[in-house]
Amino acid sequence: MTETMFNVSPLGGQVYDGAISIADYTTRHRSGLRGAQARSLLIEAGWSVPAHPNEILQTEDRGFVMALSQREFWLLEPTRDALSISISTTAVDKDVYPLFCQSSHCWLVVTGELKSSMMAKLCGVDLSDNAFATGTVAQTQMALINCIIARHEMAGHDVFSLFVDHSLAEYALEVLLDARDEFV
Amino acid sequence: MKILTCPLNGPRNISEFVYGGQVKRMPDTATASDREWAAYVFYEETNIGVVLEWWLHSPSSYWFIAERHNATDEIIRTFPADELFTQRVDFSSPEAPL
Repeated sequence: MTETMFNVSPLGGQVYDGAISIADYTTRHRSGLRGAQARSLLIEAGWSVPAHPNEILQTEDRGFVMALSQREFWLLEPTRDALSISISTTAVDKDVYPLFCQSSHCWLVVTGELKSSMMAKLCGVDLSDNAFATGTVAQTQMALINCIIARHEMAGHDVFSLFVDHSLAEYALEVLLDARDEFV
Repeated sequence: MKILTCPLNGPRNISEFVYGGQVKRMPDTATASDREWAAYVFYEETNIGVVLEWWLHSPSSYWFIAERHNATDEIIRTFPADELFTQRVDFSSPEAPL
């Protein structure tokens, strides 16, 4: 077992309020599982698991399961602190392996009615309400960097959760702040 | 911008994809001669026509296969690799002589 990395965010955990708000959730807990038995393992553990890849589903009082393929799932727990967790570097079960998304990706949460319009400046995928419904995930690019975009509800708000590589966190925040300028 | 359809993620800008080479039949790793193995690793078909190619959707690290005409650049279809590769290949080799 080893203590997780990145329990301190390179973005400082800041919230940028406005008509479109951007919050740094990098220090919130997330982990992942990959493997043929990952789905059944999560269901056994009491998680609600999406039926298809590129979907996200909430489990009451715990968090979200994001399906990135038939055998890859990320667990997002916005109310849990990343400081307290430990991660295993070995298989957690037969054919199921941990994914270190806490260490690999930063997490930004975007809220605001015009967030789809703002994202249209940065991303080639149509993220408007009609084309990108709540519970949908897009693995794509934003401002030319790889990005996972999930639309879900959190604390009563419709949000986009964005996951980009840690090494690109500052760049991602900068382009988002620049893109929202005309909407603030 | 060209659009390529990823079997996992749907239509995406071509800038999200990386070409991964032709799909070739791998010779038996236990019995292939050096010549056969070198041909598999280094040689590419150069005939004009419909070819099978590996492509990677970079944001999701998803490898799939595309059927493409290499002169017209028409993509006939894209599909998951497990349509062609149905079982795991064991790369264990015989013990080296002492």
